[in-house]
Amino acid sequence: MNYFIQIIVSGLTFGAMYALAAVGLALVWGAFNMLNMSHGIIMTLGAYFALLWAEYMGMPLVLAAPFALVCGAVVGVIAYFISAHWMLKQKNFEVTIIIATFGLGMALEAGLLKFLRELFRTAPYSQPLSLGAKSFMVADVPVSYQRLVVWAGAIVLIVLVGLFLSRTTAGRAVRAVAQNRDAARLVGVPVRRIYVMVLALGSGLAAVSGIMLSSFKDVHPLMGGDPMLKAFIVIVLAGLGNITGALYAALLVGMVEAAVKVLIADKYGFAAILILVILALIWKPAGIFGRSTVARQ
Amino acid sequence: MTEPLLRIDGLHAGYEGQIVLRDISLDVPEGALITLLGPNGHGKTTLLRCISGLMKPSKGRIEFAGKRIDGLEADKLVARGIVMIPQGDMLFPEMSVYDNLKMGAYLPVARAKFDENVERIYTLLPRLKERTTQLARTLSGGERRMLAIGRGLLSGGRILMFDEPSLGLAPIVIDQIYEVINDLKAQGRTILLVEENADRIIELADRIHLLDTGQIVWAGDGHELDSQQQILETYLGG
Amino acid sequence: MKRRDYIIFALLLGIAIAYPWLHPPRYLIASALLMFCYATVVSQWNLVFGMAGIFSLAQVAIFALGAYITAMLGRYLDWSLWYTFPLAGLGGVFFSLLIGVACLRLRGIYVALLTLAVSQVMFVLIQTDSMCSSLNKVLNPATCVSLTGGAQGLGSFGSFGWRSVLGGRDWIIGDYYTMLALLVVGLVVAFVISHSRIGLAFKALRDNEELARSRGISQFKYQLLVFALSAFLTAVAGGFYAAHFGAVGTDMISFPLLLFIISMLVVGGIGRLWGPLLGAFLLMAADEVFKEVSDWRNVGLGVVVLLFMVFLPEGLAGAIEKGWQRIERLFGRRETLGQAARSDDKASSESGD
Repeated sequence: MNYFIQIIVSGLTFGAMYALAAVGLALVWGAFNMLNMSHGIIMTLGAYFALLWAEYMGMPLVLAAPFALVCGAVVGVIAYFISAHWMLKQKNFEVTIIIATFGLGMALEAGLLKFLRELFRTAPYSQPLSLGAKSFMVADVPVSYQRLVVWAGAIVLIVLVGLFLSRTTAGRAVRAVAQNRDAARLVGVPVRRIYVMVLALGSGLAAVSGIMLSSFKDVHPLMGGDPMLKAFIVIVLAGLGNITGALYAALLVGMVEAAVKVLIADKYGFAAILILVILALIWKPAGIFGRSTVARQ
Repeated sequence: MTEPLLRIDGLHAGYEGQIVLRDISLDVPEGALITLLGPNGHGKTTLLRCISGLMKPSKGRIEFAGKRIDGLEADKLVARGIVMIPQGDMLFPEMSVYDNLKMGAYLPVARAKFDENVERIYTLLPRLKERTTQLARTLSGGERRMLAIGRGLLSGGRILMFDEPSLGLAPIVIDQIYEVINDLKAQGRTILLVEENADRIIELADRIHLLDTGQIVWAGDGHELDSQQQILETYLGG
Repeated sequence: MKRRDYIIFALLLGIAIAYPWLHPPRYLIASALLMFCYATVVSQWNLVFGMAGIFSLAQVAIFALGAYITAMLGRYLDWSLWYTFPLAGLGGVFFSLLIGVACLRLRGIYVALLTLAVSQVMFVLIQTDSMCSSLNKVLNPATCVSLTGGAQGLGSFGSFGWRSVLGGRDWIIGDYYTMLALLVVGLVVAFVISHSRIGLAFKALRDNEELARSRGISQFKYQLLVFALSAFLTAVAGGFYAAHFGAVGTDMISFPLLLFIISMLVVGGIGRLWGPLLGAFLLMAADEVFKEVSDWRNVGLGVVVLLFMVFLPEGLAGAIEKGWQRIERLFGRRETLGQAARSDDKASSESGD
């Protein structure tokens, strides 16, 4: 029973963080088939933005997350204009953009390492937004208040994204572009502006997800790589571009990872997820939440 | 004579080295219903794609309201008043009928008048009103076409371009759709209509252009076309 | 392959064979042989990605797998490394078949994500490997280190053995020629495959997929074949790498090495005959030249990859080829003009009818 609660608690936490990261990736993929390999470094940067705001600028802690979200969005916009913007007409855009953003991500990561080495230190910082280990008990299992904050934050942001997509003109335009690009252009949607907007939104969410990650594990320049890959796994599992599916898949992946970590060993978490996704792809290539068997060739 | 609303002059277009349209020239005066008639695969849709900005012509010019527009992006052209009413595959499949209509009024000018206009659309196309909450992908072929028309009308353009409004539909649905087109013409809207089937448009059109393998081979009005049995037989299989 | 390409090949081979006789500094020989090793990996990747259209990011993982197989067989079973190379190759083939069966039926994008995830899992598993497994307790009773060496890596498992033949100073020349031989085999294999029926099949699939399929050309089958074939030499290259350095570690699967090798492919030109060689040469040369600012190495590599993908996705080899064609056209201009005039005549006579 204890194990069970432990798995649920930490699974929900992983799930919440992956969901934020994955929703951003899924939105961007849905809008213009771009898989952003610099997503991970944007998560890392988000954690550093929060640190910068709270620790070095001495601004109110409550606003650190919104600040990071805005900065993440700005990085997303910059990333768009130095990569995708020039590449949209390329024949193999889906593939070339992966390589390009991989290069961009690596450059940013190495640059961040270098910058910190020169001016500060590369060693981990503790996230000022973390509440530490203070916790309450659920049937003998300690649940930290930090987890509550992460859950609440993730739920609020996802609900906001949902409302944005379903209720606002801009959100409808995002969905329209994802569903039929030419049709969207025919009703006057400036598709390129939508691409920028979606990448900004996705990157902002990634930045917040990065803060959440660092609130459990400290802030470190290489912290984003692993969760980014897991977010990729989540959207593959859900079926690329399926946003609600990505939410469920994020929870599923979080639970599986937590179960493996609690019951077997920490390091097999990722391997277990990978096996899960490979089995899922063989069994249901359109994603486990895919509506139909969309040909993926 | 005043300038036509839309003027196409010496237009060429194609895909990957393959020429689809050759030296197309035609005028669409304000308030007229102009049609382009020709078999499938002869470049009719390509022409509409060029005018609406989904595709760039390789040669020639397109003028709208006296200004050159070829090469502009599609969304800019909608704002200027060029509205294409596509075939049923150009909807937003995972959105409700209502949201699809709402997308038609995406531009601020149209958005402001949406509530008022959508009622007019519902009286014109009552089927849509019955299905407001249904997803577009669950509609029948005829309903999709009506939705495309409704969405296009909500954009409120100065010229409406219909892409084969009768293709693949049952005769009774075609009747309904042409009734709507007839109404629009009566209201004085400018229309460019592309069709494969001559029957419905001979009476309706102010001028008919015959398109054959990417070229305009004949132009005239409905009565002239009617009297030229030979043309009809050669190009449209009677 | 045109005659021009044969001449280039012979010329380059001659230079490479003669190079050690010019008594270059030792570190340049070491760089050159490392370049041969990477160029082999890139040539096989070029086959997988450029010809077969498989966007695999697992090539570096396959390379590392080969290295680990060689290292572990050498260390735990005391095999001569020469016997381990074929096994390393077969290990690579097996590994790639597993990955291939799982994802090659899917769209390219899924292949990229899954192969990347596989590499990352392999990295994590080795990096965190600190278990004294039961097998390991038997093999290493005294120290009981982890089987794969974990984060420290694995060493003392032997070498090519040139030291006993050529002596303590010249053994590196033995390694040099060994790597060169590997590269030659790699290039020949790449040429042969891309001009064999397999290459033709992919060309047919690119030109007209439907027609190709109706003739019974299965993309999946051919992709799997190319993926497996190229994995053999990629893994053997890993084995050679291990044998030369006498050590393996998780840096072989890490993103910086992936970045380095991707940039060779991208700078050289994906799918181009001379791309891998050109890219490997330029990147290794750049690595030497910019040694002073090696702190910025990964920033530079990342930016180079980004810029090439944005502005020159066909790479330098592609750009050179295009430039060459333009020059040829410049010289052959009169004929083409004549042809154009003739077809114009035809067109106008048609419209006059």
